[in-house]
Amino acid sequence: MLSNEPGSASKRFFLSALFWLIVPGILGLTLATLLYTPTLSDSLPLAVKPYLSFGRIRPAHVNLMIFGWLSQAYAGGILFILPRITRTKLFSERLAHVNWWLWNTLLVGAAITLPLGLTQGREYAEMIWPLDWLLIANWVLLAINIWGTFARREEPKVYVSLWSFMAATIVFIGVYAVGNKVWDPSGAYTGMNDNIVNYFYVHNLFNSWFTTAGLGLALYLLPKLTDKPLYSHRLGLWGLWSVWTGQHHQLYSPAPDWLEYLTIVFSILAIVPTVAFMTNFFMTMRGRWGKAASEVPLRFFATGAIFWAITCAQGVAQSFRTFSLYVHFTNWVVGHTHLAFVADYTFWSFSLFYLMIPVLARRPMYSRKLMEWHYWLTTVGMVIFMVSLWIAGLIQGQNWLTYSVPFLETVKSMVPYFALRLFGGAMAGAGVLCFAFNIWQTVRQPAPAPITSPAIAPSAGGGE
Amino acid sequence: MKISRSIVYLTAGSLISLLLGIIVTIIIPLQDPAALGPSPLARPYTAQELRGREIYKREGCHYCHTQQVRAPEANKGMVHQKGDIGPESVPGDYYYQSPVFWGTERQGPDLAHVASRKGIGDNEAWLRLHFNNPRATSPGSVMPSFDYLSKDEMDALIAYMLTLK
Repeated sequence: MLSNEPGSASKRFFLSALFWLIVPGILGLTLATLLYTPTLSDSLPLAVKPYLSFGRIRPAHVNLMIFGWLSQAYAGGILFILPRITRTKLFSERLAHVNWWLWNTLLVGAAITLPLGLTQGREYAEMIWPLDWLLIANWVLLAINIWGTFARREEPKVYVSLWSFMAATIVFIGVYAVGNKVWDPSGAYTGMNDNIVNYFYVHNLFNSWFTTAGLGLALYLLPKLTDKPLYSHRLGLWGLWSVWTGQHHQLYSPAPDWLEYLTIVFSILAIVPTVAFMTNFFMTMRGRWGKAASEVPLRFFATGAIFWAITCAQGVAQSFRTFSLYVHFTNWVVGHTHLAFVADYTFWSFSLFYLMIPVLARRPMYSRKLMEWHYWLTTVGMVIFMVSLWIAGLIQGQNWLTYSVPFLETVKSMVPYFALRLFGGAMAGAGVLCFAFNIWQTVRQPAPAPITSPAIAPSAGGGE
Repeated sequence: MKISRSIVYLTAGSLISLLLGIIVTIIIPLQDPAALGPSPLARPYTAQELRGREIYKREGCHYCHTQQVRAPEANKGMVHQKGDIGPESVPGDYYYQSPVFWGTERQGPDLAHVASRKGIGDNEAWLRLHFNNPRATSPGSVMPSFDYLSKDEMDALIAYMLTLK
C-alpha cells in the first residue's frame, strides 16, 4: 500500500492519471454526441436519464479531466523529477502514496457526486465543500514533498523547474481556498462578487497551477528530449501575472469597467512571459527538429509548445473588448479551452509518460508503432475538433451581432460543426486508446531488476 | 547565500502577488456602490422559487444559458423577436443571488429576462411543455428533456423561471 521504493508513487500517479483520462474522455464523447443528437437521451429509461443529462455530465467531464487526468499526470511528473534535479531521495515516498490514495478518493467522490447533481454551481468550482478540503489536503501533501525535497537537496544548484513547482503549489492552494470560500460550508459569495471571485479563481487555477507547474515540467522535458542544454535558465514566472487577468472572462459584463480595463492591460502584458518561453523553446530546438520528426515524445512536446503559443495569442486577442464581444459565449471558447487543456498541457503530459514510464518500468515502450498512431490520431483529431469549433463560434458571433437572426436558427446552423467536432473527438479518443494500451503493455509485467545507475538528472545541468 | 535569498524572494513574491490580486480584483470591487443594493428588477425569492433555483443549478442549466446581457447587445439582441434579449444587466440585478448564473456559453439563448418574452417565457404552459419536450416548442433545439423532474420540482423550476423578468 505505502511502498518506500523510489519511483513507486510516481508510477502509481501516472497509471491512475491514465484511468482518469479515459473516464472523463468517454463523458466528453457523450457530451459531443448529445449536442449532435440531443434526442438520443429521450429514449433513455427514467432510472438513468437524470445522471446522463448534459448539465450534470459536463462538470464531471471538466473536473475529472483537470483534477484527475492532468493534475495526476503533473503529480507523477513532479514526483519523478524532484529526486533527479536535487540528487537525493524524495522527501517521503510513503507520504506520496498517502497523497495518491487521498487524491483518488477525491476523484471517486467527484465522479459520484457530480452526476448526482450535488454541485456548488460555479464553473470549475463545482465540487461540494468536503471535497474542496480534500483537494486542498492533496495539494498540501504534494507541496510538503516538493518543499521537503528542496530542503534536503544535495545538488547545490536549483534547477529552474523546482522554482516553478514550489511557486505553483503555494499560490494555487491560496487561490483555491479563496476562490471556493472553503472556510464557509455554503461556499457562497453573493451577487456580482460571486462571479468576480469565480473568475479570479478560474483563471488562476489555469495560470498558477496548470501553467506555472506545466512550464516547470516543460523546462525539464525540453533539455531531456532534445539532449541539449536549455537556451536560457531565466524563469518567466507566469503565475505572477495571472492574478490580475481573471476578469477578462467577463468583458462587457456588469462588473466594474475599471476592473475590465485593468485586466485587459495585464492580459496584454502576458505577451512578455509567453515570448520569453517561446524564445527559449525555439532556441533550444535549433538543430533538433529532425529529432522531433523521428521521435514521438519530442514531437508531442514540440506540437504542444506551438499550440501553447497559439493559446496565448488567442488569450490576448480574447482580452480585447471588441473581439470578446464577437466570440464570447460561442463555441469558439469551447475550442480555446480544449486548445489549452488538451493540445498543450495534455500533449506535454503525453511526453512525460513516454519519457518516464520506460524508466519506471525499466523497459522500453511496448510498441513504437502505437506511439505513432497515438500521435497522429490525437493531433489530427484535435485539430479537426478545434478548428470546427472556432469556425462555428465565428458564425454564431456573426449571426448574433446582426440582431436579426432568430436564436434558434443559429442553433440549427451548428449541426455540421457539432458533427465534425464529434468526429475529431472520436479520432483523438482512438489515439488515446492506442496510448493507454501501449502504456499498459509496458508496465503490466513486473519490472526487471534495477539497473545500477538510472541517473537521469537533467542533462542540461543545474540552473541559476 | 544566493539560494536562501532566492527562496525568500520566491515565496514573498508569490504571496505578495497573490495578495495584491485578491485586494485589487476582489476586495476593491466588493466596495463598488453599484453592487451594494438591489436593482428595480431584483427581489427576494420565495421558498418555492429558491427551490426552483436549486433545481436550475442541479441540472446545470447555466452551462448552456447565460444570464447576463452585455451593453452593446442590450435591447437589440434577438431571441425570438428583435430586441427581446432585454435591457443591459447591472450589478444590482444579482443582489439576492448565490451563486449567480452569469454563464460562459450560449448553446441556448440568454435567460436574464426570459420571463418578459410574451406568450413564451412568461407563459407557464409553454415553459412546462418546453421542459418536457424541448423540440415540441422549439424545433432544432439541442436541450435535453427534463421529463424526469417530479411535478413539485417542475412547478418550482417554472416559478423560478417566472422571476427572470
